[in-house]
Amino acid sequence: MTTANDVLSALQSAFPGAIEEAKVDPERQLWATIKPDRIVDVCKYLRDNHNFDHYSGAAGVDRIDEGLFEVTELLASHGAHQVVALLKVKTPRDNPSVKSLTGLYWNANWYEREIWEMLGINFEGHPELYPLLLSDELMGAWPWRKDYKGYPDYNTAERAIEKVNPEGYTDYSFTPTEAEIKAGTVPFERPKYPTFREREEMEIKGESEMILHMGPQHAVVPGPFLLDILVDGERVKKAFLDVGYIHKGIEKIMENRTYTQGIPITDRLCYMAALTNNEAYCGAVERLLGIEAPERAQYIRMILEELSRIQSHFLGTAEFLTLIASAVYSPFLYMIIDREDVLSCIESVTGARINHSFVRFGGVRNDLPEGFKDMTLDTLKMIRQKTEEYKELFSSDSIYQKRMEGVGVLSPSDARRLGVSGPPLRASDTPFDMRREDPYLLYKDMDFEVITRKEGDSKARVEVRLDEILESCYIIEQCLDQIPSGPIMAEGVPKRIKPEPGEAYYRVEDHRGEMGFFVVSDGSEKPVKVKARGPVYAYFQALPPLLEGVYIADVVAIAGSMDACTSEVDR
Amino acid sequence: MVLSAITEFAAQEPKIYGLIIGLVAAAILASVINVVAMLLVWLERKVMGDFQARYGPNRVGGRWGVLQLGADAVKLFTKEDVIPRGADKPVFVWAPIVAVATTMLVAGALPFGAVIIDGKEIPLVVANMDISAFYIEAALSIMAISAFMAGWSSNNKYSMLGAFRGIARMIAYEVPMGICVISVAIMAHSLNVVEIVQAQSIWFVIAQPIGFVIFAIALITDLGRMPFDQTEAEEEIIAGYNTEYSGIRFGLLYFQEYIVMLLGSILLVHLYLGGWNGPVIPVISFISPMIWFFMKLIIVLVALIWVRVSLPRFRIDQVTDLGWKILLPLSMVNLAWAVVVGLYFA
Repeated sequence: MTTANDVLSALQSAFPGAIEEAKVDPERQLWATIKPDRIVDVCKYLRDNHNFDHYSGAAGVDRIDEGLFEVTELLASHGAHQVVALLKVKTPRDNPSVKSLTGLYWNANWYEREIWEMLGINFEGHPELYPLLLSDELMGAWPWRKDYKGYPDYNTAERAIEKVNPEGYTDYSFTPTEAEIKAGTVPFERPKYPTFREREEMEIKGESEMILHMGPQHAVVPGPFLLDILVDGERVKKAFLDVGYIHKGIEKIMENRTYTQGIPITDRLCYMAALTNNEAYCGAVERLLGIEAPERAQYIRMILEELSRIQSHFLGTAEFLTLIASAVYSPFLYMIIDREDVLSCIESVTGARINHSFVRFGGVRNDLPEGFKDMTLDTLKMIRQKTEEYKELFSSDSIYQKRMEGVGVLSPSDARRLGVSGPPLRASDTPFDMRREDPYLLYKDMDFEVITRKEGDSKARVEVRLDEILESCYIIEQCLDQIPSGPIMAEGVPKRIKPEPGEAYYRVEDHRGEMGFFVVSDGSEKPVKVKARGPVYAYFQALPPLLEGVYIADVVAIAGSMDACTSEVDR
Repeated sequence: MVLSAITEFAAQEPKIYGLIIGLVAAAILASVINVVAMLLVWLERKVMGDFQARYGPNRVGGRWGVLQLGADAVKLFTKEDVIPRGADKPVFVWAPIVAVATTMLVAGALPFGAVIIDGKEIPLVVANMDISAFYIEAALSIMAISAFMAGWSSNNKYSMLGAFRGIARMIAYEVPMGICVISVAIMAHSLNVVEIVQAQSIWFVIAQPIGFVIFAIALITDLGRMPFDQTEAEEEIIAGYNTEYSGIRFGLLYFQEYIVMLLGSILLVHLYLGGWNGPVIPVISFISPMIWFFMKLIIVLVALIWVRVSLPRFRIDQVTDLGWKILLPLSMVNLAWAVVVGLYFA
């Protein structure tokens, strides 16, 4: 088995002088600072020789005191080993530029675009450096920089300039006042790039082709995002995706809050996965603080996170049903009703049904209430029975077979290349599950199976979710049997959280895939940088290539089978 | 007695009396149809609620929510009527009217049950034509034209796709449906719906089971209900051909769907389930055919609602595949069967 130390020594011998500083902390994470001109070579070497075939994301940090930007590339492997390589590249704050990894990893595209639009770091060799989350008028303001001064309010009605365009529609524009230009809240220079609409219209070839909007206001979308499909009759020729309609700047907000105040904000990343988001964030901060939750607290976390997984998979499957059937479709409502019981179990512990804010640094907020075990076991019994029914529904109904089989097929190699994780990856015959791959909490003691399917189509993705519900039930039962008594908070956790300067990365298996938090501390009460690496971001990036050449109705079946959540993509 | 008096009155010179009688009958028919269609909307919402473990309408008009439809109708009447910029205005305006008018054409030829007076069965039908089955089938097909008018004139991509889908689907399903009607006519030795009903000493659902299934599937497709509602698949093309409609025009299109559902179910009952045939109930023998007719009708309607809440939607290419590759050959088989059996028993 490859360990982080093996990788480090191999790197040091292969690239003498290219690695400035390096450490292994904790045992499966390799941190290294790479010279900017060698980063592509190092990553290529790691990918080809050490199976680092999973590009997990990138985080940009503004080190304003040192006059530097840092870009940290997160590399991992799809099951060949458990090492995560966090490779840091430094670049000066004036005229920042880093080499792009898009040539090595297809899915580096969006992560680098995001860092470019937020921090203004240019990525050399990036094929399409267009804004992703920000709107066009915000470009050039570089909002993630620490010296960002805010931006004028574009929504002020009296300052909007109305202009009727030749087609008869009203355009709104805005010109800043001189005071705003003087105060530096308006960017002087804006990067040049073709707008989203121009890029779309470049692709229209024949007279029979047209762009069909699916979103931001459309029944297919789980939240506002723009999915434009170029159709010829009923066939999709190309798909364009634009996100950022509900960009909340959660990562920037967390930089301006204390560590503890960050916990409720992680809830809002995605309302379906509040508990796992809490877990990922608290786990990262716990690593910074060097503390560990007591055993009972870890069991409570596992129980609740698995319950949360059950409810999320129920809702995800139910949403999929409304998309390929109809909003008046009965099984959708049956699933929602079943899910309520699971939410009640969670509510009896956390006091909330959706936004729990339950996990704490070094423990949990509440202990399990009396009667929780019986209530949960009853619910699990019901859930098992209902899940078997739904599985039978999917496998017996011929319309389902027609709508789902062979639709949106992701081959194993494509699934890895596109960077998806969670159920869509496992449905493509890749047993990649953080609970096995990078065991957190006490999952290494648990007996469970990583569900996989060979087909990689929509049906396989739904089946994986339904089977994972059963597997989660089994994990919860084990936890309820084994849970010891004891404290629920670690001793010696300070009231004011001030971690030592450093960085930590902690990844968990979200309901939809790999959820990671990258937290950078400078010793103060507030984090320097919090980066949330969400699974749905990767799904969204992988969606346009999947949609090429399918029917319009299949767009819905494919997008729905991904179980997307816009809130987490936009953050 | 009353009926014969009216008939005599209408037959006398000058013909203007006949015209007046006809207009009055048409007005009564239209109002009755509309009221029944409203009740049907209520029935669907209530039954769907039961299927989906929820209440359905339960506030307006007491526990059963009977006045909910009145409230809905008032809302639709008072909403702003928007005609989108760039729409083909005359076609846009006329599409809902054509839709409802063609449905009313169907209603004119359909018998709505029968009554027994002096031991004689009198069917309740406005125009008892000799070829009413053929006429109804033809009038039902015009519906697709009105949907296409609505979709094409809206100047909207979703509407246009919905309209295209509607036409593709109509062509694929009207053919097997028509062949089924022909099979029934062959067995009944008549194209008159009243005579078809009277010919069913054995219900045609037993005599032609394949034909019944094909006709039922084609009927659901014609009605555009799940699993065949591709023309207005809201998850794909918003609301299909009626995306841009609002207010009373939307109300007309919406209502037309339910009127067609009612008339289509009546046609199914007449062609395959023996219409108003049934044993005479002793004390109330006068309306005993009506009781049988409505019992069958309600069963068919609830079955249609049941199908709607329990099946997912087909893709448009799968729908046309089903129509051309499975239903059409099967309907030919059914036709051959009807010819053989019809000639043997004739």
